[in-house]
Amino acid sequence: MTVTDDGIVHEVVYPHPVRRVWAALTDRAALADWLMPNDFEPRVGHRFTFRAEPQGTWSGIVRCQVLELAEPRRFALSWAGDPPLPVTTVTFTLEPVEGGTRLRLEHSGFAAGGPPALTVRDILGQGWGSKLLRERLPALLDRMAAEGHG
Amino acid sequence: MTKTAKHATEDVFSAIAHPLRRRLLDLLAEGEQPVNRLAMPFEVSRPAVSQHLRVLLEVGLVSERRSGRERRYRLHPDRLRDIRDWLATYDRFWQERLTALGAHLDKATSPPARGVAQLSRSPKEGEQ
Repeated sequence: MTVTDDGIVHEVVYPHPVRRVWAALTDRAALADWLMPNDFEPRVGHRFTFRAEPQGTWSGIVRCQVLELAEPRRFALSWAGDPPLPVTTVTFTLEPVEGGTRLRLEHSGFAAGGPPALTVRDILGQGWGSKLLRERLPALLDRMAAEGHG
Repeated sequence: MTKTAKHATEDVFSAIAHPLRRRLLDLLAEGEQPVNRLAMPFEVSRPAVSQHLRVLLEVGLVSERRSGRERRYRLHPDRLRDIRDWLATYDRFWQERLTALGAHLDKATSPPARGVAQLSRSPKEGEQ
């Protein structure tokens, strides 16, 4: 995982051609197989829902809308999990590389919502939260453990 | 007497949304502080600062204890760890799903019982 100012990024290289990866990203049955059961249609503006088994405090429901379908390179959808977490954006970008396809997944938009989202940006970005979490939190937790609080 | 509280991670998000409360946490990261010293750098009334401290107390980011006539506050950074863990949940979710995508792609093109796709993770792995 890479942390950006606005979300998280994963990159994976699959030993398959771009068109095959694209098909797996933009087909209802394929999405159900590797992601979650859904009523997806490959049409910009289409609203659909992923429904998984509830897990812990998560309802298992994600409400989505197709934002961009630039075959076979870029597929973006809005991603609304349980409130009060912000409506975010998931973007798949495909790039042909030697021996296959590099898939870049970016889950972003944490800075776009209300106050809770802004704090997520603080945590992910270069601001206060990031500095505290990345530089000071480990030391503070160590100190707590040493003092018998952790 | 020490008071702390357990609340949902979302409440921690709301608690640290306010810049003054983040500055209070920064001050408390230096160590336990009496309320008078915490109120000093701010151009707001001491009751207002106490109210912000109350919010931090309610979500468990700080604890409070009385020492003689003063109230002293202490940072509890494990609540911030909860937020980091929440982001790590998304990270794990996508990591698992993208591995499943590799298996799906292999299944669609190869005879059954072939292994999963070779995965190449981002070099910045471990950033959580």
